[in-house]
Amino acid sequence: MRKRRRETKMATVELERLNKRFGGFTALESLDLTIADGEFLVLLGPSGCGKSTTMRLVAGLEEPTGGEIRIGGRRVNDIPARDRDLAMVFQSYALYPHMTVGENIGYPLKVRGIAKAERQAQIRAAAEKVEMGHLLTRRPAELSGGQRQRVALARAIVRTPRLFLMDEPLSNLDAKLRTVMRAELKHLQRDLATTTIYVTHDQVEAMTLADRIVILNAAKIQQQGTPQEIYDRPANTFVASFIGSPPMNLIEGTVAEGRFHHPDGGVALASAPQGPAVLGVRPEDVTLAAPGEGDFTGKVYSSELLGDCTLLNVRVGDKLVAAKVGPQDGRDMDEPVGLRLAPGALHLFDGESGARIEGRA
Amino acid sequence: MTHTRRTRAAIVAGQILLAAFVLLPFFWMFSVSLKPPSEPFAIPARLWPEDPTLSNYVTAFRPEFRTYFLNSLIVSAASVTICVTLALLAAYAFSRGALIALTALMGMVVLAQMFPHSAIIIPIYKMMRSADLLDTKIALIIAYVSVTLPVAIWMLRGFLVKLPVALEEAAAIDGAHPLRLFWEIVVPLARPGIIATAVYVLIVTWQEFLFALSFTSSKAERTLPVGLNDFIGQYGIRYGELMASSVMVSAPVIAVFFFLQRYFVAGLTAGAVKG
Repeated sequence: MRKRRRETKMATVELERLNKRFGGFTALESLDLTIADGEFLVLLGPSGCGKSTTMRLVAGLEEPTGGEIRIGGRRVNDIPARDRDLAMVFQSYALYPHMTVGENIGYPLKVRGIAKAERQAQIRAAAEKVEMGHLLTRRPAELSGGQRQRVALARAIVRTPRLFLMDEPLSNLDAKLRTVMRAELKHLQRDLATTTIYVTHDQVEAMTLADRIVILNAAKIQQQGTPQEIYDRPANTFVASFIGSPPMNLIEGTVAEGRFHHPDGGVALASAPQGPAVLGVRPEDVTLAAPGEGDFTGKVYSSELLGDCTLLNVRVGDKLVAAKVGPQDGRDMDEPVGLRLAPGALHLFDGESGARIEGRA
Repeated sequence: MTHTRRTRAAIVAGQILLAAFVLLPFFWMFSVSLKPPSEPFAIPARLWPEDPTLSNYVTAFRPEFRTYFLNSLIVSAASVTICVTLALLAAYAFSRGALIALTALMGMVVLAQMFPHSAIIIPIYKMMRSADLLDTKIALIIAYVSVTLPVAIWMLRGFLVKLPVALEEAAAIDGAHPLRLFWEIVVPLARPGIIATAVYVLIVTWQEFLFALSFTSSKAERTLPVGLNDFIGQYGIRYGELMASSVMVSAPVIAVFFFLQRYFVAGLTAGAVKG
């Protein structure tokens, strides 16, 4: 007898020294990554960073140039996609246009030879879970983008795979629907407790969904950690500029005698090595001061009221520094202002490598 | 505005003229088929018979015609089935395989269809003779499949490269074996292309004359286009019966084309836009 859903299927995913080259292009270089059982892992990065390649390697849609992939402790390099016991949601949804919604959802079951009656019950259950139970006889072409997305999800959850793979599943939806689906996805994954690898270039999706985020750039892992860790302690300037909306301000200057120097200002630092450095500060940690006061001075470039706050872009030297200030604190264009950076919320990065420099207050 | 209007009118008039030019022979064929023996060459010529009669059809629909028709049907149906099946498999490989060798092979496929029939008929004839296949339907089927296959592969490839690979990947992850995936995902989605290709092969084989004349000699094995030749005698041509037969030969193809033309047009352009 088949047990009810969620019989324990261990699905730790281990990637070891994984390499992938396409001709002369290195998509992935010596990647080491372990994904815990039941974890929601988000692979985040700009396009071409290797995140989709990583997922496709795990899926078995690409063959690695080198390295090893293990799912549930077993090497799967030579196992075809169909036998890896996973489900995937594609960016394009990849619904079969010639099948109805019900047939689409039931295809993984049909292929595995599950009897029709049982199949129907499982199709219905999966469709109900994504609120598509009333549209089982429609064809994909008759559905809206959001509905197609749900069908793709239902097709993934209709079986009980060891692993979910999601390749930018929300990127084709409009902003409002994306927010709704994001929350639904989170609930779904928690209920099913299935190990999930989720690929996206949208840092908001990554922050809201992930148990752990892995940030990739130029075929390499830049940082991995919980959303909080990555937000609070970005490992380098790339991560700092990628996470947060608007992203962290990065100001180039030099450190000398316990102080960060810039032509238009500077801040005291408790302890930092001498030399060129990049100072990072998030827009919400920048407050306004009278011109000439504060840590930096500049001229207002733009002032955008967002409702709950005002986003000021201030020209400091040849750079724009963003500041999130109160809704009443809007300024005129070209108005001179002072900027105060919250002490204790500053990040310092090496001027050359861009790596985080620890050990200051 | 009036300028574009006038241009449009001119274009439409041109199209009507062109259509008339193309359709006139067909109309003439039909008209002559209804004329009694005295009329086809009457002067002044008449577009429409003065005294329409179906007697030509009665004579044309002789037992031989029925044999020829059946032969044509068997040869065409077999050619279409075999050619489309082979072309589908080949086109799938050509559209999905990334091998350089395949690109070279595809080039050879194009090359293969550049030889005129009259250039290859003698080698094919010799091959058929050594294989002892002359005066059989199999000889015609083999010849037809080999001359239509290159274009069929090209047409189908045009369709298949447009099918999103993600669908096949999704099916693979859903657990489908490559053959099952081909049968349940690729073939249904390529259906318009398959129909278009089948129509193309049907039209070519149904009207083929040269091979049919050369490779068959007995009445029992002849096909319709050769059968029409019966009305062209040494001392005269029986136009009425010839045209009546022609109408009966054309009718099935015209009907097929009429119902499936949208697939056919799509098939010819599919490769042109992409791939």
